[in-house]
Amino acid sequence: MKQGSVEAIVTGLKEAGINFISMLPDSDFTDTQKAVMADKDFKCVPVSNESIGFGVCAGAWLGGKKPALLITTDGIMASAFPLTTLNMQKNIPVLMVIPYRGSLGDGIWFMGPMGAATEPLLKDLQVAYTVISKVEEVTPAIKNAQLSAEAWLRPTAVLLTGEIIFEEA
Amino acid sequence: MDKKLDQNVLVVTPTGKTYQYWEATGREAQISQLNLGLCTPAGLGLALALPHRKVVALDGDGNLLFNLASVADLAVQNPGNLIDIVFDNECYQSCDSFPSVTSKGVNLEVIAKGCGIKNAVTIRDITRFEQTLDEALNGNELFFIVAKVEPGEEIVPLPRQEGRENKYRFVRHVENTENIRIINPYSRRRKKDFTPST
Repeated sequence: MKQGSVEAIVTGLKEAGINFISMLPDSDFTDTQKAVMADKDFKCVPVSNESIGFGVCAGAWLGGKKPALLITTDGIMASAFPLTTLNMQKNIPVLMVIPYRGSLGDGIWFMGPMGAATEPLLKDLQVAYTVISKVEEVTPAIKNAQLSAEAWLRPTAVLLTGEIIFEEA
Repeated sequence: MDKKLDQNVLVVTPTGKTYQYWEATGREAQISQLNLGLCTPAGLGLALALPHRKVVALDGDGNLLFNLASVADLAVQNPGNLIDIVFDNECYQSCDSFPSVTSKGVNLEVIAKGCGIKNAVTIRDITRFEQTLDEALNGNELFFIVAKVEPGEEIVPLPRQEGRENKYRFVRHVENTENIRIINPYSRRRKKDFTPST
């Protein structure tokens, strides 16, 4: 991932007040994930399945933390169940920051279906989201998404397109 | 069991009969009706958020098995303030007692020990259950207690609280006892929302 993008994400998380992060490694996100793991401002809880992360973040929110999930589009597919039975049913907020695999410009064949399914799925799961493709918009987008998650008691997501996540070979 | 727990102990319960029994205790500090695979993870997050508070998760075999990898994540985090109790009736009781894999020899204690949880035990009698619970409540180590129980078809009252009401009660309890603010319905104020000081 581009260095400026990592900094913009970490700054956004801090300025949004995020202090608890759960994640599953992703090849396009490991730079960011390593950066937050190394930062003492965040309590980081890696999980073995994104749906576990939704449960962990819900518990953390109930205990007064401000949680975020750094997960992939695949993770959204794997987490339709907790998003429905936990976040949607109980109105529990969580911020998601997601590398938008399958957005235009993605050159890996198996990411195409991710791009096709991600936004319809987020809409169906009542996740308010924004798609960001400029690095300078990353930090304010994360802050805004967290503000609304807190006020609405709903999950929100910031999708980061290839312009932000891909580093050209 | 409720009598053993101080009112400050935070209790996490899954959907099904366990919660229906626990609602009858009137305990404010219980977050309930966590659906499949989400009870232990929610207990883990809560324990990590409030490391000075004791947290008791009352999971079930079917619920835990849905996200069995959460046992591994629990072991790695190893919160010393969490007691994870799995009431293992070896079936999905609310689904006509359809057998779960623990009825076929899958051993949750062995799985937990294999993940690295030192205090993983299986208990089959009430006296030892009480002793182990006392030990866990008085200590500062993670406990994973598999409580083997008989499937019961006892009729208990349906819950009166739906999930959002239960969440608000729990959150207000945490806010009041921790002197913190969790729910923030006006997270961004406009300038004009402020009353002029004059």
